[in-house]
Amino acid sequence: MTAILILFTTAIATLFTGLTKNRSLLQPIALAGCLLALGATFYNPMGWNERYISMFQFDNFALAFSGVAILAATLIIGLSGWGFRQLNDTLGDNYGLILFSLCGALCMFSFTNMVMLFLGIEILSIPLYVLAGSRRDDLAGNEAALKYFLMGAFATGILLFGMTLVYGATGSFDLAVVNEAIATGKGSVGMLQTGIILIIVGLSFKISAVPFHFWAPDVYQGSPNLVTTFMATVVKTAGIAAFYRLFSLAFEPAMDFWSVPVTVIAALTMTVANMTAIFQTNFKRMMAYSSISHAGYLLLAILAIGTPGSEGALLFYTLTYSLATICAFGCYMVVAEQNGDGSFAAFNGLSKKHPLLAAVLAISMLSLAGIPPTAGFFGKYFLFSAAFAKAPWLIVLAVINSAISIYYYFKIIIAMYFSREENVYETGIPVGVRWVVLAGMLLIALLTLMPGSVYAWI
Amino acid sequence: MSLLLVLIPLITAIFLLIARPSGARTIALVATLANLAVSGFACMGFVGDGSFNHEFSVPWVAEAGITFRLGMDGISLLMVILTNLLAPLIVLSSFGKQMEPEGRFYGLVMLMLAALNGVFMALDGLVFYVFYELALIPIYFICAIWGGQDRIRTTLKFFIYTFTGSLFMLVALLYVYLQTPGTHSFAWEELVRVQLDPTAAWWVLLGFFLAFAVKMPVFPFHTWQPDTYTTAPTGGTMLLSGIMLKMGVYGVIRWMVPLAPEAMHDLAPVFIILAVIGIVYASIIAVKQTDLKRLIAYSSIAHVGLIAAGVMVWNKAGLQGGLIQMLNHGINVVGLFFVVDMIERRLGTRSLYDMGGIAKSAPKFAALFMIVMLGSVAVPLTNGFPGEFLLLNGVWNYNFWLGAVAGLTIIFGAVYMLRAYGLVVFGESNAETAKFEDVQTNEWIVLGVIATLVVVLGFFPGLVLHLTDGSVNRILGTVQF
Repeated sequence: MTAILILFTTAIATLFTGLTKNRSLLQPIALAGCLLALGATFYNPMGWNERYISMFQFDNFALAFSGVAILAATLIIGLSGWGFRQLNDTLGDNYGLILFSLCGALCMFSFTNMVMLFLGIEILSIPLYVLAGSRRDDLAGNEAALKYFLMGAFATGILLFGMTLVYGATGSFDLAVVNEAIATGKGSVGMLQTGIILIIVGLSFKISAVPFHFWAPDVYQGSPNLVTTFMATVVKTAGIAAFYRLFSLAFEPAMDFWSVPVTVIAALTMTVANMTAIFQTNFKRMMAYSSISHAGYLLLAILAIGTPGSEGALLFYTLTYSLATICAFGCYMVVAEQNGDGSFAAFNGLSKKHPLLAAVLAISMLSLAGIPPTAGFFGKYFLFSAAFAKAPWLIVLAVINSAISIYYYFKIIIAMYFSREENVYETGIPVGVRWVVLAGMLLIALLTLMPGSVYAWI
Repeated sequence: MSLLLVLIPLITAIFLLIARPSGARTIALVATLANLAVSGFACMGFVGDGSFNHEFSVPWVAEAGITFRLGMDGISLLMVILTNLLAPLIVLSSFGKQMEPEGRFYGLVMLMLAALNGVFMALDGLVFYVFYELALIPIYFICAIWGGQDRIRTTLKFFIYTFTGSLFMLVALLYVYLQTPGTHSFAWEELVRVQLDPTAAWWVLLGFFLAFAVKMPVFPFHTWQPDTYTTAPTGGTMLLSGIMLKMGVYGVIRWMVPLAPEAMHDLAPVFIILAVIGIVYASIIAVKQTDLKRLIAYSSIAHVGLIAAGVMVWNKAGLQGGLIQMLNHGINVVGLFFVVDMIERRLGTRSLYDMGGIAKSAPKFAALFMIVMLGSVAVPLTNGFPGEFLLLNGVWNYNFWLGAVAGLTIIFGAVYMLRAYGLVVFGESNAETAKFEDVQTNEWIVLGVIATLVVVLGFFPGLVLHLTDGSVNRILGTVQF
């Protein structure tokens, strides 16, 4: 709760600072707010994590995931000094919107009532619709914003309809009450099951799982780089964590029913996304499909609900995934500055001109592909081992998909290290980017050395 | 002590990769020699009763039963000796070439050594897996950066092939791990103790087999190997053939058979027959090769096929033969690839038909090449002989016909190696080979050490057999099928 208040206040502060001429103050304010909020997820002197009018509860799950999301946002804001440098009059709005969106994510980690989940999703999404179109004279950006808005609104509608049906069947929006109603077999089963299916569909839109993923590649490609990064990390984390929280706290008694559609969606998501990613030639589109495929792996955690360690596995996975994605996008921004089209050829010969960026990007790719000993491997390992007992064949499929994913992640490494052609890179590495990628690498290294520290957090 | 063997190369690697100092080759050489010294010390206080010496253990993910645990019994110690004995030779053999940027090349080699030492000493399933995969990344970069023609496609094929194989091993490991009692543990002893039901054991065994069969490689999983060996730079080829493929054989002995012996009774014949097919198949192809490097690549498949067959019959002769032959094959194959590299650097070709008459212009080279070649053919009193003899004895005891077919390896080996040697060294010299320069200092050291080892280990195979005896007895006693 403290974290939400801090973030909200900071967001207001950035909005008003944006009205004045002190543009240089904006990034420090936003960073300070995020760091304070990050501290508040660890240290909570006023006991404000209690349940709050039956809407929130900042339990360990919520605090841990809030930590991941705020950390990701902090790093993204660290990149923003350079990433947003061309924005003039709208800079304050951009920071404000990012922070508001982050507040929404925190609601999605801590809700104990479906109404709060819905509000959280809206608080998260609406600023993002604006952010996606923040380059107002850019056609692709406008297309992305419109697509994202239409798809998002549609998904929220379906989700809301599902919640209504669940309410009809169980008589409450409160997760604990819903859980008890399902466990005791009260209410109409048909209505409940339809409701659950619609909620699965709605949330699958949000985490861009197949077959509800069509918006993702265009939106990722068209949005400004930092907004894409935010979508791929914070939004993805919020979506899957909310999914997990809702299904473990409310719908666990009906697991036999919903585990079938979730299994199908997970299998489709990882396979289709990986197969499509192979054929991409643009970095951002490739990362979009990569993020879809990670949604498939993350769904394994939903199937592992009830297995000890599944929360820790999800937490670890989202953290390593977010770190690697942010580092990759940080490097990409510098590369795209010079060779703007974002094709793989833009990375040719990067290892000679910027060994640091090349090494960071290579480690990020290895981590996303889940290759030992990078932290991404432990993420996959924890997730797979948690879900193994429930769905062994799905794990085999996931393993095959991990092998396929090497092919496209390695295209970047091949371009950077093995290509005999070389691009011109005149831009140096901006200070903000350097610090953020180094911090990201340090955290990935720490997670490799001490995976247990995060895994056992919840 | 065991931690030191991983840490020395690891720290050197990080230093070389990040600081990119000048004189990287010297630093790398010193580090490999230090590692060799440490493994020498490890031998001194060694207790050869099959227990684990020099154990090092810290919890890694305590909640999930993962412990960073290293230790050595005789089998591990032999592999560690192999790795650290060949490492300085491999580093030294790259001195003749400009590997730019140097810090990156030697850094990757050192990273590779850290991983290899880790693989051979890991006593925790997940630690083993992590090191096993870690070894893949540096060798991928080495082959793809400094390789020859078509390197990018070939190495990516190699990477995906081996990585896929080992992912199935991960699934198998995971399955066995989830059968351990309580909060689960990856400790070797715990995993061995698990009793699998027959169907599960089949799948587990197949998962492991896929990983190790690709790595060795065993027919029909060998298709990546000749291309990769041929395109890789010589240092990379030496690492791959001398040490890395032993990870597969070692994995069979330490992990595959002990973890799923329940299914070995049914599946071992299939594996052994595949290995024997590979011996004959690769030997026949080797006879037809005109590219010297490719020829040795195929001969390596044949030799490893015999090692695999011998190990999987799981009797004393087979295991002891497999172990001693792993060491000797490593020595010989590194020597042979070094010879190829010397020829290629001087003549600019690897085609057997562009050579000939080198004996006249470079007699010392011809003599050293002869010793290494004889070791590879397994002539008695060279190092190749005791291993192949024991292996064939092992396979023979298992099944007469299989032993007879596997025995063809010696005949074929003599055919293709003598043919290659004849075409390279004897006959008419041409304009290029007439001015073939004889061995230089660093080449003298590498080939001299290898030739000495070929002879010494040929005369005194007992040195090695003694080392592994206790461990082989113990593992045969505890794991039966």
